[in-house]
This record gives sequence, structure tokens and C-alpha cells, in this order.
Amino acid sequence: MSRREPAWRVTARELESSLEEERGTGERAASYLLSPFGARMNRVVLAGAISPAEPVGRDDPPTFWRARLTDPTGAIAVTAGSFQPVAMARLRATTETHPAIVVGKVHLFRGRDGVAYISVRAEGVKSVAESDERAMLAEIVRQTLDRLDLVERLEREPGTSEAELVAAGTPAAWVPAARDALRRYPQVDRAAFRRELGAAVRRVAGDSGPRPSAHGAPSGVVVTRAPPPRPPPPPPTAEEREQEAAFLTLLDELSDVSIDGYADLKELTGRLAAQGVGAERAETVLNRLEEEGAVEEPIVGKLRRA
Amino acid sequence: MATEPPSAPPEVRLKDLTPATSPVEVVGRVVTAERREVTRRSDGSRRPLLSGLLSDGTGTVRFTWWDPPREGVERGTVLRAVGAEVRTFRDRPELTFTFRTRVGPASDAELPRVTPEEIPLRAIRDLRPPDEGFRLEARVVRVAERTITVGEERRVVHEGLLADASGALAFSSWTDFRLAAGEAIRVVGGYLRTFRGRPQLVLDERATVTRIGGEGLPDPAELLRAPPRSIARVEDEGGGEALSVEGIVVGLLPPSGLVYRCPICRRSLTGGICRIHGQVEGQPDLRARIVLDDGTGALTVNAGRADTERLWGRTLADARARMREVPDPNVLEQELADALLGRRLRVRGSGTRDEFGVTLQPDEIEPVEIDLEVAAAELSARLGTVRR
Repeated sequence: MSRREPAWRVTARELESSLEEERGTGERAASYLLSPFGARMNRVVLAGAISPAEPVGRDDPPTFWRARLTDPTGAIAVTAGSFQPVAMARLRATTETHPAIVVGKVHLFRGRDGVAYISVRAEGVKSVAESDERAMLAEIVRQTLDRLDLVERLEREPGTSEAELVAAGTPAAWVPAARDALRRYPQVDRAAFRRELGAAVRRVAGDSGPRPSAHGAPSGVVVTRAPPPRPPPPPPTAEEREQEAAFLTLLDELSDVSIDGYADLKELTGRLAAQGVGAERAETVLNRLEEEGAVEEPIVGKLRRA
Repeated sequence: MATEPPSAPPEVRLKDLTPATSPVEVVGRVVTAERREVTRRSDGSRRPLLSGLLSDGTGTVRFTWWDPPREGVERGTVLRAVGAEVRTFRDRPELTFTFRTRVGPASDAELPRVTPEEIPLRAIRDLRPPDEGFRLEARVVRVAERTITVGEERRVVHEGLLADASGALAFSSWTDFRLAAGEAIRVVGGYLRTFRGRPQLVLDERATVTRIGGEGLPDPAELLRAPPRSIARVEDEGGGEALSVEGIVVGLLPPSGLVYRCPICRRSLTGGICRIHGQVEGQPDLRARIVLDDGTGALTVNAGRADTERLWGRTLADARARMREVPDPNVLEQELADALLGRRLRVRGSGTRDEFGVTLQPDEIEPVEIDLEVAAAELSARLGTVRR
């Protein structure tokens, strides 16, 4: 029997903190995102304030939309494309920030340097009354605390058997997820996470909480892990400046003529090579442009101006 | 009454059948019988066979009778078979009557005498189709009469739910035992079968029902008020009776919304066609196949018209009027999905599992309100104990 993936009750913070992936193998295998706090997510449900969506890419009409869901612990990108037409219509119809419940599939994209971008591909977006948002948040926090308690119990008593926990009411799938959390995130600060959940509890109690107005317009996906610290690069030489300029000119040319509005990285490096800039140089130039925030690569191998 | 004859009867009781005892002599009553023809692979000739269930009060086994007589064998006929072969299929014994087997009619008096005490007492939780030859002590949770048509014949069947301390089980009785909700009964001579994916206790005229004291049996009202269990557990256990779950609506499965049903069998039509009765004049109906999710698992709740109307706040007439406005069933389905998405429901009913997961046939669907003050107090208490 194939089981439908349950919608894990999670906060934006827990999603943002999740970096470990488990890819399924075989036909129609599901992939999972493992959180430090005992969730093994394929599908999730979140509650918070959703912002108006912005189109992604340069298709006309746009075929991919991205909004931002903010709860008292953090914010997460919510996307929908033409394969989720109903959810996409809901995102597009959003004209101002309002309380919502979002059900969807987690999506992890790992860019260069191991930076993880987590988003939720919406299956359902529902505008709700504030009391419904708070009720959903209450359940999210309760199940999150249940999972945290389980993780901490297994840390104290690693020998506890799954059968014993299940007999006491723990869902069977939670036990391996909690053990994975301990193994994969040995250094995680659970106490700090509990403090952050305090803000969610205050919101359940009626506190208006942090509203996303401070964030302004949706600002793309969330960078959840910075690359390891590196020594500051030496200031670019005149030659490097020239290469950057050539890179950006090509990027603009290519994205102008491409269907999706992105410049293809392979094509770009090919043209640069023709101008005498080797692949290794091109990579360095791209990294620097990305660090400076001039260029981004939202899809592997696809570049655009940030 | 039950004085055993001094010498053991020549036949084997059905509960004692094993392939090692084959061939055997048995006496039993035909519970079900169905005629078929099998085409021989070698020469394409057709060979008749009769198969069904044979019971002697100690056990019920499947039998296959090659080249049976043209008539005279039906439900209720008592047979004596000498030289029947015993085989096992899926770990259960089966009888085969071949050309070497002599089968003839027998009388009721030749059936083994069995006293209830000889039959093992079983708990509902441990019963599985096709168990038989057990004694059951249970409470009648509910019972209702239904008239059904079998071929030409109209018959009354009494359906309901039995419960003991270990669980609950649906039953259908083809004999009127005058059962009433709340009664405690002892049942001997019933058997389990799978009906629409659910295990069900079948009682017919061979079963005996006795009223008992009922100490230790659950109170029916209590059983129906049981707190919700996690959907993960319901999925693990494969469904059951008198289940209660609580979750939020995360989606709808097709067909939901305005559907057309076959006027004969009530099945949903596809393009005006019933998969049993062909082209029919469909009758409009409302339904919602709700995906309910509690964070541990998900199941499908088949909500009928009354529940759908109540949850949606629109009637079947409203939906049909809307269809005339926007003649696209998808629009209607989407409006229903929007109305239900995220709603918190508590559902009580009976669940069955198939390859797509568990489906719940609801007896009751209730929207749930969360008391935010209580929830906030509980959550901050939980956070507080850890932080300070």
C-alpha cells in the first residue's frame, strides 16, 4: 500500500533550519527533507501571513509565482507554477498580505557553495481568518514540541524501543525521524529553537506578532546557510573588472533572447571561452558577481541579474 | 442432549482437517454454492464445477466439486462426502470432491453436535476473515434493518455493530435474532467475511444467539464517544469500526462536488455511464472525498450529500443552479475545495484500507473549534517548564 505523505506541522524556522535531504530511489520515490527537530518532510502545512506573489522568470504570461509566508519564527518562500494551476491562481490573486494556511511539498535547492534554498511548492493556499491562522499555529507548535520532546528523550535514552514509544501513542514514523535528527544535526541548539517557538505561542495567545510589513516586497528565496567563511578576496584587478563587464554584457544579451528570461550558464561560459576567458576564470568571475549580489542563479545553470 | 456416541464417528470434523488426513470423510452443510465452468487448456472442452463453503458447526471450509450433479445442491443442503481430498490454500484447508469422491445427501442429525463450551471464546480484535468456529461475547452497539434484493428474492438483513473490550466489528444477520442496541449477547456459529473491504461477522440460521449479563463489555455510548486516535495508527491497523479521527482538510479527491449517480446502484457515473449498468439517466448528488490529515497520516473521508451540504453551506439545488451559471464541474469542485481546505474536522466512522490508503465511511462529521486561550496556556506551560 502506498501511503499519502502526511503534512508535517512545521514553523518557518524549522524549515529554514533543515539542510539534510534524503532522496528516494526507484520508481516514483519521494524525497524528504530532514529537520533538526525530528521532522522527515515531504509535505508540510504552515500558517502565517502570506505576501502578494511576484512572478519568477520572464515568461509572458508568467508561469511561476513566488510569495512569502511569514510566521512568528521566520519566513519561507511559497511557490506555484503551471503544474499547480489552482495554487498558482490563488497566489496571483493575493493583492495584500493576509493570514493564510499553506499546504505543499518542500523543495530544497542547493546552489553552489552548498547554500540551501528551501521553498514550499504550494498544493493548497487558503486565506483564513486570523483566529484560524492562530488555531493552526497552535497545532503546529504542539506537534513541534511533541517532536522536540521525542528527540530529547531519545538523546537521553537512546535505547528506547520504537515499539514502546508507539504503544504510548507516538506515530511510528516519528521515531526514525527523531533518531536521524540526532545523528545528522549533532550540534543543533534546541533551546534556542524553543525560545523562538515562544513568539509563536504569543501569537496563538493573540499577540499581533511580527508582521511581514517590515520585510516589504517578497525578496526571493531564503538563504538558509551561508558558505563557510573565507578570507576577503583581494580587490579585483583592471583585467578582472574587464572580465566581469564582459560577463555581464553576455548575460544581458543571452537573457534578452532566451525564452525563460535566464541566461544559460553553459552558453555563457562557451562565449566567454571564445573571448579568451577560460572556464576556471569564468567560474571565479561568476562567484564574485554572486557574492557582490549582482547575479543570481535561482535555477541550476540559469543566471540572471539580481 | 449432547451425549457423544460411544464410538467416534467415521467422519472428520471440519476444524480438524489437515492435508495429512486426506482423503477424508466429512459431513457438512452447504453455506454458499456457486456453479462455474472451467475451460480445459488441453482440448478446450468445458467442465462444470461447484464451489462454495461447507460448514459443520466446528468449522467452515471452502470446497470445490468437479462434475457435480445438475441440481439438488444448494444453500442448506447437508452432504456426506467419502474420499474427499484436503489441500491447503493460503494456509487454510480446502476440500476437493473428485471422481473418486462419493458425495451424497445426509440429514441434519448426522451433523456433529457441538456445545458452546466446546467452542473457543475469541476477542473481536483477534478475529479475521474467514475465521469461524468461535464463540463471541459482545455488546450490540447498534442494529438496523435493511431490505435487499438477491436475484428475484427480497430479503431482510439486520446490520449493525458489535463491540467487546478489545474492539468493534460490523455484523450482518440474515436471521432475525431480535437484536437491540445495548444488549449483551453470546454468539456461536457465525463466521467472518470481507464485505466492501471491511471484516464483517455473518450470522445466519445456523448461528445461535444467547443473551448474557454483559459484565466487562463496553457501554455503547462510551464507545461512540471515544477520543480521536492518530491517523498514523489507523493506517497501521488498516481501518476498523467506530473509529474517531481529527485533522484538517488538505485537499479533495475526484469525484467531488456535483456528481451523477446510477439510479439502480448509486455508483458515480463517468460520462453518464455506470460501470455496471451502462448508459443510465443519472441522478444528481453532492459528495466530497475529503483528504483529512492530522500531521501523522492522511486518509480519505467519503462525505455524502448531507455532510457536504452542511460543511459547504450550499445545497444540491444551489450547486445545480451554479452549474447552469458556469457549466464546468471543475469550477464547482474547486469552489468546494476552497470552502473545505484547512477546515478542522472530527470524523467518526468505519475505515477500510486498500492500495491507496485508508478510506473512512463517516457516521458523523463535526467541525472542531480550537479554544485559543486554552491552547496558548497549555503551550506556554510546556515551553515554560523547559526554559526556566
